Amino acid sequence: MRLFLLTLTLLATLTGCASKSYVKFVDNSISNYIEVDKVNERTRADGFKEIEIVGENDTKYYKQFRYRVTWEDKDGFEVPSVSSKWRTFSAQKNAKFRINVIAPSKEAVVYQLYIDKLND
Amino acid sequence: MNTIKTTLLTATTALLLLSGCADKVERIDMNNDKGAQVIGLDYRDFDQAAAEATQSLLKSPALTKKDGSRVILAISTVTNDTMQHIDTDQLIKKIRIELLNSGKVLVTTAVGSNTDSMNKDARALKNDADFDQSTVQKKGTLIAPEMSLSGKIVQRNINMGNGKQQVEYYFMLSLTDIKTGLALWEGESVIGKRGSGKSVAW
Repeated sequence: MRLFLLTLTLLATLTGCASKSYVKFVDNSISNYIEVDKVNERTRADGFKEIEIVGENDTKYYKQFRYRVTWEDKDGFEVPSVSSKWRTFSAQKNAKFRINVIAPSKEAVVYQLYIDKLND
Repeated sequence: MNTIKTTLLTATTALLLLSGCADKVERIDMNNDKGAQVIGLDYRDFDQAAAEATQSLLKSPALTKKDGSRVILAISTVTNDTMQHIDTDQLIKKIRIELLNSGKVLVTTAVGSNTDSMNKDARALKNDADFDQSTVQKKGTLIAPEMSLSGKIVQRNINMGNGKQQVEYYFMLSLTDIKTGLALWEGESVIGKRGSGKSVAW
């Protein structure tokens, strides 16, 4: 029983507790206007992670939103960056949009990208 | 009785003047500022320009050396060509911090703008008997820069004719390879604002 608990704890430490990268709408109403089709990720030759969010505005309205990205190292510690502050982006009507962000350092390997309404 | 009344009235008036009537001061939430835009440049504009510049610099191959070592960067002249009293360090410092933290760059404070005078002052201690000479920096230890970051912030005011004005701010930066004199990277961020012609953009 003790061995089982130890194994479980070890597994939780190694896998379950590790932070994961994700893209999140802060407000559900955003999904009325845009959707995220895919998230491209790559590690460049210089070791920096690069992400690109590809989405689409299916409506007939030009919309502006804001986004911010937070980065973590492999141990789950935050890697500070100027890109962690809110920035605006445009989603043209009936068109795709892209958000491209490069990690602030080689150590930044996990990201959380938040999309929010421009004026809350 | 009249003395008491007068004293009370004076005290109340003084209290009102000192506290109740004072304008309320709020601290800005720098991470989620929903305050109205101003026609001049504020910290949000510098944040945006710095974020765009650093993202563009990190994406460019200009700062990647084949052996993986860091680029030694000097900060050259960044001109404020706006009507505002701006310390261009408001922009450059953010870029310097981000580039330093990226692990790709080391910034020299021995030459360029914003030099640290201690680089020279500490070397002037040679032959000063008050100092242990073995702790004084030797000749030839300063590292010369390989690249230089320079730029300009430009303001353009346009009268829109209906009592409104448009103000455009251009943040223009260049990264130069000092060995060859070639610009390896160029970046430009534009921030435009429209407001009342009565607003003052300086």
